[in-house]
Amino acid sequence: MSVMRALGLRLHNQFQQVLPQRGAVMAMMRRGTHHDGTRLMSGDREVVGYGVNGNPIYIDCVEFPFPAIRYREVTAELCAVREKELGDWKALSIQDKKLLYRHSFCQTYAEFQHFTPDWKLVIGVGFWSAAIGLLISLSYYFKLYDPVPETYAEDRRQAQLRRIIQLQMNPITGLSSKWCYHTNKWK
Amino acid sequence: MSTWANLGLQDSASPLMEQLIFFHDHALLILVMITVLVGYLMFMLFFNSYVNRFLLHGQLIEMIWTILPAIILLFIAMPSLRLLYLLDEINEPSITLKSIGHQWYWSYEYSDFNNVEFDSYMIPTNELSNDGFRLLDVDNRIVLPMNSQIRILVTAADVIHSWTVPALGVKVDGTPGRLNQTNFFINRPGLFYGQCSEICGANHSFMPIVIESVPVNYFIKWISNSVNS
Repeated sequence: MSVMRALGLRLHNQFQQVLPQRGAVMAMMRRGTHHDGTRLMSGDREVVGYGVNGNPIYIDCVEFPFPAIRYREVTAELCAVREKELGDWKALSIQDKKLLYRHSFCQTYAEFQHFTPDWKLVIGVGFWSAAIGLLISLSYYFKLYDPVPETYAEDRRQAQLRRIIQLQMNPITGLSSKWCYHTNKWK
Repeated sequence: MSTWANLGLQDSASPLMEQLIFFHDHALLILVMITVLVGYLMFMLFFNSYVNRFLLHGQLIEMIWTILPAIILLFIAMPSLRLLYLLDEINEPSITLKSIGHQWYWSYEYSDFNNVEFDSYMIPTNELSNDGFRLLDVDNRIVLPMNSQIRILVTAADVIHSWTVPALGVKVDGTPGRLNQTNFFINRPGLFYGQCSEICGANHSFMPIVIESVPVNYFIKWISNSVNS
């Protein structure tokens, strides 16, 4: 039992030693391991919450509004404003409030939620592709293809249509169903 | 035959084709409903800005969207199986036609009454009459009686061909060394066109099939004349 208490006391002392000797900064929690890639990326930035999944990663995100770490590391300028923050908030200037915000966050909601102009590029590329495709098709039609067969001539098409109607082709819902056989006219 | 800008199936000349058209319409209606539902969901999702960030599972909705498609499939499967068995019904044909595919024409035999045989070649475009249908009209049409059950035996002499008449809902492959049999029934007079439906060489697109459906007495007159000539 006394061994456990000694161990606990030793850990507590170690913890107290790694606390920075600053005025009124909130307690910083450090992770147990130092061989951690994520920890390398987060650097000296304060861990202030759970974030998305507990990892000390900064992200601006509507679904998880409070990231796990502050955006910037502690600076002397910040410490001064933090001292002021302990007092009456009405005494804080706009610059102070902005400094506090930008220290903890990278962008405001308005900044990371606005529409991008990507859609203009997409629409533009789409229209250009359609135009170029149309030009290519037209050039094929006028320059490349053979002329249509002689059965496409107007008199032959009329004769074929007359034969289709006389043969009563597709008489239920098709072409012949639109012809009135009593008056010999279209319905 | 297909008329200009024909998007759907040709009007039927056979009761089985009628049933096929009804089934097609039924299945397509179900598909359109599913597409509209999914399209609506996707469209509404586009304008949604809410996110449930603590969503882990939804057992009830997963049950619903598993059971519901199974029920929809049942509604498609039951008419489909009914039609499948209807197409295979045994009936007593009154006449048998033999169709032999060659490269690149069809030949037909009516063996019930003193062998009537003839070849059916496509009429070339430059020999077509003013009202002829390009790539469809033939020199000798198959004359068949209407309102009679007809048996057809299809085979081929060289490569695989396929004897098709969409208005009757018939498509039968003709394989060399094999006789494929099917039945059909024509319920109105007129001309019914089809085209070879199995790639068979350079002129595969130029060996059409034309059936001339006539009342029984006209058919008897025609076949007697054919036998005599």
